[in-house]
Amino acid sequence: MITAKNLSLQYPDGTIALNEINLHIKAGELVYITGPSGSGKTSLIKLLMGIEKPTAGQLEVLSHSMNRIDVKNRMFLRQYMGPVFQELKLINGRTVLDNVILGMRFLPIPKQQWKTLATDALEKVKLSHKILSYAENLSWGEKQRVAIARAIVRRPSLIIADEPTGNLDRKNAINILELLNSLRQENTSVIITTHATHLIDSKLVDQFIQIAAGQLEAKSMEEF
Amino acid sequence: MKAITANIGYFFKETFTILKLNKLSNILSLLSITLAFFLLSLVVSTWLISTEMVEVLQQEAEINVFLSEEADDSSRYEMAESFLEIEGIQASRVVTEAEALERMENILGEESEVLTYFDENPFESFVEVKVDFEQVETVKESVSAYEDVRYVRDHQEVLDQIRNISALQRFLGTLFIVAAGTATLVIISHIIRQGIYHNRQQINTLLLLGAPNFFVALPFVLSGLVLTLAGGLVASLLTRFTVGLGYAQLVTPIPFIPLPPQELLVRNTTALILGLSIFLGLSGSIMGIRSSRKEESL
Repeated sequence: MITAKNLSLQYPDGTIALNEINLHIKAGELVYITGPSGSGKTSLIKLLMGIEKPTAGQLEVLSHSMNRIDVKNRMFLRQYMGPVFQELKLINGRTVLDNVILGMRFLPIPKQQWKTLATDALEKVKLSHKILSYAENLSWGEKQRVAIARAIVRRPSLIIADEPTGNLDRKNAINILELLNSLRQENTSVIITTHATHLIDSKLVDQFIQIAAGQLEAKSMEEF
Repeated sequence: MKAITANIGYFFKETFTILKLNKLSNILSLLSITLAFFLLSLVVSTWLISTEMVEVLQQEAEINVFLSEEADDSSRYEMAESFLEIEGIQASRVVTEAEALERMENILGEESEVLTYFDENPFESFVEVKVDFEQVETVKESVSAYEDVRYVRDHQEVLDQIRNISALQRFLGTLFIVAAGTATLVIISHIIRQGIYHNRQQINTLLLLGAPNFFVALPFVLSGLVLTLAGGLVASLLTRFTVGLGYAQLVTPIPFIPLPPQELLVRNTTALILGLSIFLGLSGSIMGIRSSRKEESL
């Protein structure tokens, strides 16, 4: 599903974000990526989503080579992803329901199912009571859950969640992590970047990866 | 295609959200577009009127032959008969003094009262000759060669003047179409660029979610189209009103001017303006999107 070989990313100003990393993630795996701020976590997500192109090495995501991907294929690839952005990227002036439905509008999901699927997704993140609230009127934690609902409603092959529990209380954070974990049953791979390692149920995790200064290191749960 | 039909409501909702975001700027643009289209429609209307006038006058090309006072009625009728042998003459008949007076009364309508102030009929008898427009000059020469012919009057001068005016209006019309078109394109493309700038975060989110370009761009194309169509519609309504006013002013005092039917004129002008507004709205929007793509990676 995802294979990186000697993958590097260097920004135009010379900063080396990732340096010759190797990675292999199979379908249905749950992978946690941790590391201090500026270590390269977000850069790795940018590469996986095709926002940046590798400057060296090889990266393959869902059978697409990210080294050579064109705009059309990148768009197509992203339709198979469920991204949860750190800055959430909800649309203000639209209701919670509209925001969740927005993620499905251009996918091959029948229009008749949009509302039901969105309502189900919002129920899973415990936000069904806020369905008609406007995005800008929600707390950051609630917004985070809407962003997660928007990602899972698309029934993606790959979930990429950048700090999805960052502003949630313990109870909601555990609920979200359990929810993301449950998606594996549908063979969805889940990649989560987080600082909140204390909330992770180690029995469920397939890979722990730590990034430090652009270098990647696989670790056991006990080492965190 | 499925994504378009399933999202029609969404596209229109987004379009009005985009328009609402820059309310003042969009209102000013709408006013400018309306004004440009209104001026254009006025020029086009007068162009259509003068073209119609030239056509009607060409179809009705005729010369009036006035005979010397010595000629009696029978020689007038003989001469009218003999004119038919001249090449280029389609019909020829004598118009008596009484008929000439009656014609003028019909033309003047309610104003014909002015003719009662004459002690006697001020009109004289003449021979009315219908001529092929292309052969007016040669016919005029042949007719003038007759002995009793005192004076031949044609409408060539008037026709030439109207034709000159019509050519000028055609030139101005073309110039106006180019000017109004360029101004509208610039305005719409600028408005779209502004809309894209104000919505850049939303656009970026949609692209990251894998939205196709057409899905992201369509609301912007529609917002350009809505602006130009609204401008075109208001301009058409103003034109309908102005043409109505103009006809009321022209028809009563100058009833013999061959104006095209008012409804036809308004319909043709409206069709042109609305057609242009659709074309310019789409082109301006696409221009705006294309130029933004270079900067915003849309």
